[in-house]
Amino acid sequence: MAVSPLVPHASSVAASSSNAGNKFENDSGINPPNKTKRSSSPQRMKNPDREITEQLNDDVRHKYIKDKKLGEGTYAVVFLGHLRTDPSSFVAIKKIKVNAEYKDGLSMDAIREVKYLQELSHPNIIALHDVFSSKDQNLNLVLEYLPRGDLEMLIRDSNIHYGAADVKAWMGMLARGVWFCHENYILHRDIKPNNLLVAADGEVKLADFGLARSFADPYLNMTHQVITRWYRPPELLFGARQYSGAVDVWSMGMVFAELLLRVPFVAGNSDLDQISKICEAFGTPTEENWPGVTRLPNYIPADPNHIVPLQGRDFFLRQFPTAGPVGADLLMSMCTLDPRKRGTACQILQHGWWLAEPKPTKKQDLPRKVGGTKKMGDDLTRRGGELDDTSFKNAARQLDFGAARD
Amino acid sequence: MIEDEIYRSSSQFRLWSFTEASLKQLRATTNSVASDRVRAALRRAQDARRSATSSTTGTPAPGSDAENKAAEDKQIECLTPEEEQQVVDYYSEQIIQLGENYKPPLPTIVRATAIQYLRRFYLTNSPMTYHPKQIMPCALFLATKTDNYYLSLRQFAEGVPGQTSADDIIAPEFLVMQSLRFTFDVRHPFRGLEGGIMELRAISQGQGQPAPHLQPSQTPEDLRRALLSLSPSSATANTMNDRISRAHHSTREILKAAAQITDAYFLYTPAQIWLSAFLLADRPLAEFYLDTKLGGPIISSSSTNHDQNPLYALRTKLLTTLANCSALLQAYKPFASDEARMKTLKRIVGKKLYHCQNPEKANIAGQKRIPAAAAAAAAAAAAAGESGTSESEMERLAKKRKLERGSETKDLFGGELVTQRTKERQMEGDQQQ
Amino acid sequence: MPPARDIMAHRGDDDEVCPVCKSSRYLNPDMRFLINPECYHKMCESCVDRIFSSGPANCPVAGCHKTLRKNRFRKQTFEDINVEREVDIRRRVMQILNRREEEFDSKRAYDDFLEQREEIIANLVHGTDVAKTESDLQRYAADNMRSIRANQALEAQEASSFREQQTHEQELARLRREAARLEYENERKEMLAGREDVLSRLAAGRPGDAAAIAREGHKVLLKKSSARRSEEDRIRQKQAALRNSDARKAGQGALTTADRADDSGDSGLIKGLKKIKTPEPEKPYDPFGGLIPNKRDYYTLRDHYPNSYLDPIRQDTRMQAGGYDLQEYYSRTLMEAFAGLGCFIDEEVSKREVTSTMGISRPVATQGAALAAVSSAGAPEASS
Repeated sequence: MAVSPLVPHASSVAASSSNAGNKFENDSGINPPNKTKRSSSPQRMKNPDREITEQLNDDVRHKYIKDKKLGEGTYAVVFLGHLRTDPSSFVAIKKIKVNAEYKDGLSMDAIREVKYLQELSHPNIIALHDVFSSKDQNLNLVLEYLPRGDLEMLIRDSNIHYGAADVKAWMGMLARGVWFCHENYILHRDIKPNNLLVAADGEVKLADFGLARSFADPYLNMTHQVITRWYRPPELLFGARQYSGAVDVWSMGMVFAELLLRVPFVAGNSDLDQISKICEAFGTPTEENWPGVTRLPNYIPADPNHIVPLQGRDFFLRQFPTAGPVGADLLMSMCTLDPRKRGTACQILQHGWWLAEPKPTKKQDLPRKVGGTKKMGDDLTRRGGELDDTSFKNAARQLDFGAARD
Repeated sequence: MIEDEIYRSSSQFRLWSFTEASLKQLRATTNSVASDRVRAALRRAQDARRSATSSTTGTPAPGSDAENKAAEDKQIECLTPEEEQQVVDYYSEQIIQLGENYKPPLPTIVRATAIQYLRRFYLTNSPMTYHPKQIMPCALFLATKTDNYYLSLRQFAEGVPGQTSADDIIAPEFLVMQSLRFTFDVRHPFRGLEGGIMELRAISQGQGQPAPHLQPSQTPEDLRRALLSLSPSSATANTMNDRISRAHHSTREILKAAAQITDAYFLYTPAQIWLSAFLLADRPLAEFYLDTKLGGPIISSSSTNHDQNPLYALRTKLLTTLANCSALLQAYKPFASDEARMKTLKRIVGKKLYHCQNPEKANIAGQKRIPAAAAAAAAAAAAAGESGTSESEMERLAKKRKLERGSETKDLFGGELVTQRTKERQMEGDQQQ
Repeated sequence: MPPARDIMAHRGDDDEVCPVCKSSRYLNPDMRFLINPECYHKMCESCVDRIFSSGPANCPVAGCHKTLRKNRFRKQTFEDINVEREVDIRRRVMQILNRREEEFDSKRAYDDFLEQREEIIANLVHGTDVAKTESDLQRYAADNMRSIRANQALEAQEASSFREQQTHEQELARLRREAARLEYENERKEMLAGREDVLSRLAAGRPGDAAAIAREGHKVLLKKSSARRSEEDRIRQKQAALRNSDARKAGQGALTTADRADDSGDSGLIKGLKKIKTPEPEKPYDPFGGLIPNKRDYYTLRDHYPNSYLDPIRQDTRMQAGGYDLQEYYSRTLMEAFAGLGCFIDEEVSKREVTSTMGISRPVATQGAALAAVSSAGAPEASS
């Protein structure tokens, strides 16, 4: 986050004698240099509305120029923009429609996204360069420009061929991003392929922090209605209110499986269906393999006639031959039903798979797809954690250019 | 130290940390900008009124105009930066009170976040421009959202005393967020205190793990023995446990009040704040704990390489910093227990602030919620010329202020939190008829 | 360069008389003059044979005590002995200071180098600071042996490829000329044949058709020649493309071989050379991307902490089943207990107010840029 500083700017004003106020107004270089307030133009007389905070905001706002619109949803509009001083330095400006329909002020999605991205700075997490407000009280997030689409696009595109080394590279970047979030005690809670955007240099970046929250405090309830269903771990499907970083690790496992299979691995069409598909795929949760599971608020007793035993290593190896035995072992540790036995993000990164053959592809050599710009616009306009109930995910976020408002 | 690097990436360090001098300078700037504006706005209101009266009663005697102007200027007495701070401190305390109104009371951390929002807000805004009565509930509501203690606005409004409507509370939200420069994360010292206490308890039970750089020289047993032999010496682990609990409790109380209502968050890091509070609560215990981290005071025999030892340099610097922070925390006295301070405050808020409120900023709801309408109104006013509608309203406000001066000082704190300008305006209209 | 000047003064006569044996061209029309680059004193071939055949000897010119060897005597290229000498010096210096433009950081650095080289040459030509300049040059030559050799090889390669290209182009030109000649002949032949055809048809046909036949014949000719012309165009384009690709190939060759052979980044004498990057050996993949997991400086995290406040959680199977992890709580509280303990705002913030950089940071970088940006914009006034 690059933000122009509070003190230096303000102190420059204080340093300049008695009519500090006037100086401040003219100091930005944006307004025409009116020497005194009284001699200034009529509008300025009428609207001496440039408080210090507004001035600071203007400074940030005027650093960027909005170019074309990349996408629009009900929640936000995304523009391509660039630095005023450097037309080649692109940014994505996500304009959040503040007054949309939410009467309780700024929506939680926007608050979460801004709050956490302001604190996180890592190569595998989308960078928030600045935030400013524009007319009509719209919130503008200046985000890193990621022109190469998202992982979902790569998974779905049958013209793109990729192999184990590529998957390893992508997973490594994802796992680093997630690990860094957890190191900062932030859960992402919406990891899925279309929240994993690809930068111009091939780096994968975790985006959309609309459902993120800080964690680890004891006795604090958290909502279980998070994470897009196909990537939601069983403990959340069972309504757990106290959980850990393991929820994101499960989602990572699902992304891993999807990268290998090129279709979502467990794609339930309702929460119940999701549970039964998970049981079929990985085994039925029981008190033996997951102590306490039956006491989770929304636990559904399994059909005693249809108990699937916990899947072992050979199952994963059979299902995901491309991962190899070591990779299958890693996937298994991500997809462990009992969240306490699931690997942590740190343990995932300590796994031997990363150092095993094949080496991860260098990011500049990863398969790429053109036309990702629109995809970024698309991904960023989605409301945080939108749970797509439609059968295929893209359908839920068709661009709505007709409804353009500004 | 890696932990320090992590803190350096926080928005609190990047944007909201100041030296004493820079903090003072910033506040002085804010004050002077706001004062200029208040004077200008009040003068405009006056001019408008004068032109209105002159148009009805004919041309006044030349010369008297200028005299009036000088007299009025003298009357517009603005708050000093120190007075502004008193006001902000007072409303910071009020946030703690307001939090008690809910069942269950709002979590300490939510209130603490709200207080810091309020204090950050008034670094670049003046109470003369935006009255803290209006900003305070909004800051608290915003804190419930950012700290994951979610209440609906309606629920929240029920806890706010007086006739404050939900709209009044939410109206300044965007303004507040903008003033916070859209950084919502506040790093508090509370969780750190828990960590330190937890580690001390572990040490008292012989499970303490020495710091990585002191690893070979200390064993958990050494640590335990050293802790238990602290003066005043407590023989058993049990009494030590009680002592830790007491220190824990009093530290927490300091963090809940003194740390919030002083400039501690601007000047120090959370780790420094809780340790400073801990030093006030139980100095020997806190010093012992620090020594387990930084090594004890260097013994004279090894004094040859003091300067080369980075830990020694860190320790020296840290002890000074902690002492300064402790002094800051110790100097805090709540308004309730400080009659003189309360009296001054009443004078500031009751009289002075009342007269130097910027009339053009009074109605945040009208100004900020419907920007299009506000813009239209401004355009209409511009078209209507100098004595447009908004101007005459301001003029009436100023007049009303004169009429009611001094009569309304008592009701300012408890009752209505948001200025009821519209209502007052109506009342005043009646009086004028 | 006193000797040179002497010689210059008598130049007119020297063409005719050997300054050593005084024999004259008039008597000996085959007489050839030779010089030695040690002192550039001219003498006739027979003098050289006579004086130096039995080994090195002093220059016979009065006042010149240079020791000369026979094998270094050669014919003069330029009429002006000064030019001869300067060209020799230049050649020698340039063989040593043979850095190439692509070896420099910037155009500016390269220009500086060229200037420096000219200065050295001038020094040697005009005899200023000769001893020091020579020793600098020798030291440089010794230190940069590899780079000098590599660049010499490059130059030779370039020269030969230039020659090749020239012969290639000559060949192409010859082919083009040949083709043009053939074409002209074909055209002429066809024209003649066409004319004959028209004549024979006229002879055979009725007189009224004459005009039509002539017109037709002309049309056929035009068509043929336009077809030929487009064919020629195609060939010409093809050749041009070929030439270009050849040139490109040559360029690439030069680039790839231009890789520095010398690793001494700064040669001492010459400034502004690019630092030579030896390709780093590929590092093993770091899953953590350079960060060190679980590294803590102020404390050592334990697996368990006694805490009665947390005991209910340890027993609560539901919380346990949800995955709630006390380890995360321990880690967080201890991190927050110490994060920033050693950050002295007083020092660091005042520092960042002073150490201001330019106005706006590029939004491309992350944390470093953010920190830099915090300390930017408008700060010059802050220090006042």
